[in-house]
Amino acid sequence: MSKHSKPEQPQPPYLADKLLKWFCAPHLLEELQGDLHEEYYYQLERMGKKRANWHYFREVIGFIRPFAIKRKTTPPTLPSTLPLQLDMFKNYLTIALRTLWRNKGYAAINSVGLSVAFCISIFLFLTAYLQLTFDSFHEEKDRIYQAYFFSNDPERASRSGGMPMPLAPTLKAEFEEVEAAARVMTLRKSSVAYQDKRMDKEVYMTDPDFLNMFSFPLLKGNKETAFSDLSSILISESLAQTLFGNDEPLGKVVQIGNEGKQKGYIVSGVLADAPYNSSIRYDAFIRIDNHPNFTHDQANWGSNSHKVFIKIAPQAKQATLENKLKLFSQKYFSSNIEVLQKKGAKPDKLGDIFALRLQPLTKVHFDTEISNGPPIAIVYALMGIAFFILLIACINFINLSVARSFTRAREVGVRKTLGALKSQLFVQIWSESTLLCFIGFLVGVLLAYQLLPEFNTMFNAQIKLAHIWEPGFIGLIVGVFFMVTLLAGGYPALLMAKFNPVEVLKGKISLKRPGFLRNSLIVMQFVMSSLLASCTLIALQQLDYLRTRPLGFVKEQVISIPVGNQENGRQVLKRMRAKLATDPTVLAVTGSGINLGRGKDRVTSRAVIAFTHKGQQIQTDWLLVDYDYLKTLQIPLQEGREFDPAYPSDSLDRIIISASMAKAMGGQELVGSYLRNEADSAGTKYQIIGVVPDFHLYNLSNGVIPITMHLSNTESIHYIFVRVASQNLKQSLDKLQHAWKEVAPQSEFIGTFLDENVNEWYREEEMLSQIFSLASGVAILLSCVGLFAMALLVTEQRTKEIGIRKVLGAGVPSLILLLSKDFIKLVLIALCMALPLAWFMMKQWLNEYPYRIEISLWIFVAVALAALLITFLTIGFQSMKAAFMNPVKSLRSE
Amino acid sequence: MKRTYLGEFEEIVLLTVVVLETSAYGVAITHEIIEQTGRSVRLNQVHAALQRLEEKGMVHSRMGEATAERGGRRKRLFTITAYGEQTLLEIQSVRTQLLSLLPRPLKPSLSI
Repeated sequence: MSKHSKPEQPQPPYLADKLLKWFCAPHLLEELQGDLHEEYYYQLERMGKKRANWHYFREVIGFIRPFAIKRKTTPPTLPSTLPLQLDMFKNYLTIALRTLWRNKGYAAINSVGLSVAFCISIFLFLTAYLQLTFDSFHEEKDRIYQAYFFSNDPERASRSGGMPMPLAPTLKAEFEEVEAAARVMTLRKSSVAYQDKRMDKEVYMTDPDFLNMFSFPLLKGNKETAFSDLSSILISESLAQTLFGNDEPLGKVVQIGNEGKQKGYIVSGVLADAPYNSSIRYDAFIRIDNHPNFTHDQANWGSNSHKVFIKIAPQAKQATLENKLKLFSQKYFSSNIEVLQKKGAKPDKLGDIFALRLQPLTKVHFDTEISNGPPIAIVYALMGIAFFILLIACINFINLSVARSFTRAREVGVRKTLGALKSQLFVQIWSESTLLCFIGFLVGVLLAYQLLPEFNTMFNAQIKLAHIWEPGFIGLIVGVFFMVTLLAGGYPALLMAKFNPVEVLKGKISLKRPGFLRNSLIVMQFVMSSLLASCTLIALQQLDYLRTRPLGFVKEQVISIPVGNQENGRQVLKRMRAKLATDPTVLAVTGSGINLGRGKDRVTSRAVIAFTHKGQQIQTDWLLVDYDYLKTLQIPLQEGREFDPAYPSDSLDRIIISASMAKAMGGQELVGSYLRNEADSAGTKYQIIGVVPDFHLYNLSNGVIPITMHLSNTESIHYIFVRVASQNLKQSLDKLQHAWKEVAPQSEFIGTFLDENVNEWYREEEMLSQIFSLASGVAILLSCVGLFAMALLVTEQRTKEIGIRKVLGAGVPSLILLLSKDFIKLVLIALCMALPLAWFMMKQWLNEYPYRIEISLWIFVAVALAALLITFLTIGFQSMKAAFMNPVKSLRSE
Repeated sequence: MKRTYLGEFEEIVLLTVVVLETSAYGVAITHEIIEQTGRSVRLNQVHAALQRLEEKGMVHSRMGEATAERGGRRKRLFTITAYGEQTLLEIQSVRTQLLSLLPRPLKPSLSI
């Protein structure tokens, strides 16, 4: 049969063969191609090459029939080498679940650590997110600015947001870039009344431009006409609900204003409640023209009473406008500039001594001088701590996975020899850690959901989990999650995938060498947690110092009652005095214009006036008091006497000054001398009748402020202080509440103890230090969990060594030392790095407080000892277990 | 009784497999059919038929030895199964029976 065996033998057409190979099912290819070739040579002999080729082609094409074509379900093909095939991924998942199930302890430690870290960081990120998005809901936020005065005082450059009345209209008139300008003013809470309902609410005074500038949705009413009338009032949704229930609010008349000075306003619109992250939090708005001093101040460039927001044209630039404002400031504030120049002020680097400048709306919240938000550094600190904690959890994860990878080396070796590719191994191990991360993440979110109310009450925060669904936050979370899986899962997976199978199976991969990476990660972990711990301790100490430092008055056993706006404070005080006169447990009663600390009405206020005395300018707090003020607060007298009803002129022009005021006036023996404003020709002369030691009307971070106390027959008394002698304070409070119903029936009793009020001054510091404590607690806990697991693995790996050492005569203490000394060394290194850093950082922080503690060495000693002790306890337990184990058992295994 | 369907071409291929006895494979069968019936038959048709026959259980196949003109590839050799033989016999008997029932002459009647 074989007649064609020469090499120049013609071959069947190559293309046709190729085609056949492409479509033909592999298991049929051999016989079909054989038959085809045989037929080809047969035909070749009979009809020549050309026709045989043609014939071959037709035959091949004829084979394109169902039976011969490759089908997807044809018998088993070789496994694909692509790592991310779907069914392979399912396989990885199954394997991952099985491995995790087999190592439940390891999986639990890791996922618990991760979920705690995720939960805490969700809280911290949410808090930071809420702060960072302050005021960002306004649609035209990029064009809105708050005006502020910059003054380059030689003592300290300062900024202030209080603006004079004529400023906003003048800006709008003189600059075409200024599209809208709104004055926003709030006094203390005003009384709002409708029929028999009365309450104190935050009533803002503003301009009609307000509605065109900010994006508070107007739910009812017409945006164009809502503010056209002087007696219009816009109210918030919740105020509408409380005042009118389900009735139609538009057109109703509400009474605004304090007793005796009420005025009716017609509701012309309902605004949605301000979101939590809004700097402007309102209950109602009326026109600023209604302000009692409006006509007087309308053209007065010297008053500073309210904030001014402007909206600039889309094409206008902040810098250009600020440049133009230089001339404006020189024109309208020449007197301020002169005063500053006299004091020796120099222009700053922008060439201004005193200037009007603009702060973008989105930055207003973090400007501590013109707004009362937190400094932005705190927000970054929160985010930093969140990253710290996540990083610690990641480090745990990496360390544990790397340590365990040596135990799993054999599995990897076997897989590799069986033909697994590096990429496949990587994906397999990586999917395992991703699964763990995901479990941790889910549990973390659930935990966060469960603990959210506790977190909010504990830190008085207002975070909502709903913010998680905002795109910015989702981006952050997804980013963090991927970073964690990549960082924590990727590295160990890469490491394991790189193992050389031959060495692994020969047992050459070292089980004991800890590795530089692992050590540095542990060190990093402990640097972070001891840093947090020592910072927290110092901050708590400082806070405690501020709280317990004497304020110059005795804050214990004094109840402070805000009078509210529905009653006349002077009348109430008179009735109160009469009512309590016979009560032996009441030691003294007095009234004041301002509260001490921060009560339930949340109001803090301050009156400052400046005297030019003997050619010197003296700034002093102007404090309205009533008889017995010093007695009630137990402020001692240095010289002179207290206000006394026996001297009728006390309530006209007599004053008591504090020690630093006396110092500012530059004199000894001031009692009997006069204080008067030389610049003011018609100024009243005030006679000094007493001097008291310095006391603190405000938070200690303000330092010592000169105080001048005066009496008055007419100015409103807003707070009543009562000193009680009773041991049972609760009972005293109840008694006062009872009395209050009679003396001030219109006003709700919201009395509080002064010491509580004073603590409220430090609420921000307290909240922060609590967050820091929580964070450092979690950080330490997580580090310990990691260390514990590490100790577990190390002792497991060294069981045999321990057995041998024991057999050869090593004692239990030396074994414990052997096992723990590596870790102790690492913690010592970490402490050497963390403690100086903590000292430096806290030194900077404390510098901001006029009253501050000295950082004492014992804090660092305590932190170091605690860290070592915790480390020793964590590892010691494992080492002890290993050391006490019967060596026969450990040596017999395998 | 279960009916067996065998197409006309399949029947011819099956018969050829029997005829060729031990050397029945694609090319041989094709050539034999061309020779015996004069029809122009192609390899792919024969293979398709053989595939169907094997699926129906009429033939049995095994890989044979390689020859030079096939470039060292083996052939698939087909043999008839008992079931295939049975089927062929049945077909034959049905035909014989039907033919015996035919009225003579073998012409269709034109009367209505």
